[in-house]
Amino acid sequence: MQDFEDFVALRSQALLRTAYLLCGGDRDAAEDILQDVLMSMYGKWRRIRTSPEAYARTALANAAANRWRRRSRKPEAPLELGAVPTSRGHEQQVVDADSVVRALAELPKKMRAVLVLRFFDDLSEAETARTLGCGIGTVKSQTSRGLARMRELMGEQVLTWN
Amino acid sequence: MELKEALEAATADLDVRPGFVGDVMAGARRRHTRKLLAITAAVALLAGVTTGVMLTRSSTEPFTAGDARLTAATTGDLADRGDVIEQALSVWNGKRPVPVTDVSSDAHVFWTANTPDGPAALIAQSVRVKASAEPQTLVGLVHGADVVDQEVVYRGAREQGIYRIGDGEATYVVLGLGERVFWSANPTRGPDLRYSRAWQEAELHGGVAVVRAKPEETPVFLRTTIVPAADDFTRVGERIAPRQEIEQAPPRTGLGWSSVMWATSRQEPGKPGQSQDKLVSEDLRRRGYMDYGHPLVLWEVRAWLPDGRYAVVTETNGELIGALYQADGTFDRVVPGGPAVRGRPVPVRLVLPDGQGTIIADRNALLGPEEREGAWLAPPGTTQVTIWRSGDQEVVPL
Repeated sequence: MQDFEDFVALRSQALLRTAYLLCGGDRDAAEDILQDVLMSMYGKWRRIRTSPEAYARTALANAAANRWRRRSRKPEAPLELGAVPTSRGHEQQVVDADSVVRALAELPKKMRAVLVLRFFDDLSEAETARTLGCGIGTVKSQTSRGLARMRELMGEQVLTWN
Repeated sequence: MELKEALEAATADLDVRPGFVGDVMAGARRRHTRKLLAITAAVALLAGVTTGVMLTRSSTEPFTAGDARLTAATTGDLADRGDVIEQALSVWNGKRPVPVTDVSSDAHVFWTANTPDGPAALIAQSVRVKASAEPQTLVGLVHGADVVDQEVVYRGAREQGIYRIGDGEATYVVLGLGERVFWSANPTRGPDLRYSRAWQEAELHGGVAVVRAKPEETPVFLRTTIVPAADDFTRVGERIAPRQEIEQAPPRTGLGWSSVMWATSRQEPGKPGQSQDKLVSEDLRRRGYMDYGHPLVLWEVRAWLPDGRYAVVTETNGELIGALYQADGTFDRVVPGGPAVRGRPVPVRLVLPDGQGTIIADRNALLGPEEREGAWLAPPGTTQVTIWRSGDQEVVPL
């Protein structure tokens, strides 16, 4: 299982970042689900037929969605986006980074997952659809609505994408 | 601000906590062992019910994991040095790893010897852990006033059994565990681009080998009953590595990508022939075009060529490498590429033989007239490619 150990050592950081965004910026939850996903992959390692990274991403998206289902039964603190400074220095970048995660946390789980996989993990529409187990049409519509919603939530901090 | 840029900025400082990899590995093995134990228990229970035997837990007697090393005669050239053994046990008793909930009083030095870095001792002890009702064995190495590492060896599970003392010129203490130990440093690459390694058999004394090597020479250790061949990259035997090397992420080299990209519209079948590999490039490792010691690369560009052959491009040791296969999976040839340089526009450019074009790739761009995501098979004679990145268009000469 050396290759599994290599995979964990090499890819944990990247997967943690994806998990962090999928969990809407909850670092502890991200680490928990990543650890759980990786441990569950150990027993199945030889049977995983896709790329291990793709498998892990799918499992993370599912785990984050299930976590969200559990959490959604509890009331959550309202989102408060801070005022937007006008200058665009390092502090502005920090504000942008913080508010983009908070805006992401406001999105429905699937919409958030689509945006994370498309724009952070650089998956194609087809790969995103495969990862989330949905159709390409769903990915397209969730992307479009998700980006529009992000724009609403981010206010003046207009986001661009290609 | 671009969304991707914002997401990357938001996660730029995120890294796994120290010890995360070790916790994952320990937890994964624990979970796996628990599953095996549950199956065993279910079978035992069924057998007990069938024969009318009641299964009862053992009493409050002092517990033992039953590992032969707990009572074995101490070996090594310091075996008769009571003071060394006492000192090692005193260091050992001051440290208990996280998964251990209780320890037995049977800590035992089963090997102690002088190494190039000074005296060292291997110790075994029965312990209880949360994950298992049965006692397990804790094995570890003490060097001077430090416990180099400790490993809970679950009954029936694989034991890593290799420890490293020092960072520069390092001493590796390796347990044979009933098999032979081979090691090799500094792979060499021949004119055919294949790597080979000169394997040396480590001498076992009392079942333990002491090997001196430099970590930067990428020493590879195998525990096996078969002598590995110089071109053996099929991992005959079991590759073993000290935990600090497993947990230490290798330096980021090359392009740092982690995806499969297609350079052609035809993408079916996804692999040539009957390949069951997760990545097609795994075959290149088996064929010796990649070495054990190089970091695992998780990206490749695939393409079905106009003449019906299949091409794959990836990187190893900072260099691009391509391979061609017949459609039935027969290996055709390897195609060397240049250095894999991060930050260069269109960093992957591999000219294919027999006028099959050039595979080009840039993970974060749209390429060519079809605006393909990440990769494109440029026709022969293409001298430049248009790329779009973050909404900006650029023409890159090839």
